[in-house]
Amino acid sequence: MTNTIEAEGLVKRYGDKTALDGVDLAARAGSVLGVLGPNGAGKTTAVRILATLVVPDGGSARVGGHDVRKEPAKVRELIGLTGQYASVDEKLTGRQNLVMIGRLLGMPRAGARAKAAGLIDRFGLSDAADRAAGTYSGGMRRRLDLAVSLVGEPSIIFMDEPTTGLDPQVRAELWDVVREQIARGATVLLTTQYLEEADQLADEIVLIDRGKVSAKGTSDQLKARAGDRRLEIRPEHDAEKAERILAEITGLSPHHGEHGLISVPVLDPALPSAVFRRLDDAGIVLAEHALRRPTLDEAFLALVSTPAEAPAGSPAERPSA
Amino acid sequence: MTTRNTFAQGMTLTWRSLVPLRNQPGELIQLLLQPIFMIVIFVVVFGAMSGDQAGAVQHLLPGVLTQVALTQTITTGLRLAEDIGNGVFDRFRSMPIARSAPLMGRILADTATMTLTVAVALLVGAVVGFRIRTSPLEALGGVALLLLFTLALGWVSAWLGLRAKSAASMQGMATAVLLPLTFGSTALIPAANMPGVLQWWAALNPVSHLADSLRALFTGGPVGAHIWITLGWAGAIAACFVPLAVRAYSRRIR
Repeated sequence: MTNTIEAEGLVKRYGDKTALDGVDLAARAGSVLGVLGPNGAGKTTAVRILATLVVPDGGSARVGGHDVRKEPAKVRELIGLTGQYASVDEKLTGRQNLVMIGRLLGMPRAGARAKAAGLIDRFGLSDAADRAAGTYSGGMRRRLDLAVSLVGEPSIIFMDEPTTGLDPQVRAELWDVVREQIARGATVLLTTQYLEEADQLADEIVLIDRGKVSAKGTSDQLKARAGDRRLEIRPEHDAEKAERILAEITGLSPHHGEHGLISVPVLDPALPSAVFRRLDDAGIVLAEHALRRPTLDEAFLALVSTPAEAPAGSPAERPSA
Repeated sequence: MTTRNTFAQGMTLTWRSLVPLRNQPGELIQLLLQPIFMIVIFVVVFGAMSGDQAGAVQHLLPGVLTQVALTQTITTGLRLAEDIGNGVFDRFRSMPIARSAPLMGRILADTATMTLTVAVALLVGAVVGFRIRTSPLEALGGVALLLLFTLALGWVSAWLGLRAKSAASMQGMATAVLLPLTFGSTALIPAANMPGVLQWWAALNPVSHLADSLRALFTGGPVGAHIWITLGWAGAIAACFVPLAVRAYSRRIR
């Protein structure tokens, strides 16, 4: 078995609500598995099962070769957990939070202090290290939470929406941390609502929607599944005429994007040159043109079914149990 | 998980619960202000109203001391409910530590702060004129009895905190339990001044017996059966609520 994280048919119900309805997950040793999905899809529940915090109603999961249900203590020795609900002790300083975790993991006092100092430095928390964590900004708390989860240098790291609600700069910093962890050989399972994040970090992506896996594969595979390449043009003038030409050539009605972009799917490799020739003949100048693959956003929209019956603003995903 | 590890983890979590008192002066002041205020309000103000200030202080201080200590027992459940609510508990649960360590740390830390509170209350009492008239052994016996009884109540508090949906609801429930215990007792008001039903309840109420025991152990006078009744209650409460709290805790920590 080469998969460090492996789950089959995970089921979890809360009352009459099914949070997970038969989810399979697998992450190879040393890889990043991205679990992508909208709010309420079941991502947090999946992570909580794998981190031994919640017992599944059905299915099985093995983390680092140990069954989460039968050997939770063995699993806990291997994992680090960090989440969107940054769980640091607000009354302790950042440094004390880190030292406490080190001591709990059996480090001697000096060792725990040294480890804390190193992480404070690495996460740019030096100025705030001796202030109560309750006074930290959202980004600082998240960094501290991540640092806390790395005290024991876990070989398997669960990150539950580590960057939700953070500004792009902090997000990029956290991405660097994830890459460092990969570089030292850790296996990471990362849940996110951000396609870009999964695209940037994950080797494999599993798309979860309403408790079920709706697609899986590499980011490129998922993009490919979303459909064909598209030709995008932005005419300087005569936009309607350009549109008519596109429609004539492809037999399809072009899609209107932002800022006057018009696009059509490229079903025939000869299409772009034909389009450019005809537009040139018609004397239409293009301000912009591009042949591109669909973004992961488009893949996401294509692969996640629209939650028609789900009420807007679905309840927070975190179960109360 | 060896016993030594378990103990070390419990001590680390005890430290974790006590260190905010050192970190933030506000936390410590808050802890100390409660006994000071209660003593000033009840002992000094009511004492002055009664005319016999010195006698009132001697009579009221043991009663106020029980009130202060009982109110403090809310902390145990409140902090547990807070840890559960804000994810700190889940952090501990996801770690390779003894399952009992977080609860052990909580109880040890709260016993330590309770001892501190009682010491401060007795000191403030001395400042406003309270004098211990008995032997040191009897006085220490009084402190021990108070700590024992609040420890038993601490398990009720823990049970409430572990069952509560939130820290706020825990506080509400704890207040509902504590109010009849503290005010429906002879700790501050003599039973003779109470209406019939309340007199009956006050005679039954363990807090009445605790306060009367403390009066006897600190200022002399007949102890009667008060100490044994108090100990009996503490034992009965512990016998009920330690298993209940441990069961609620095991469900939470799993």
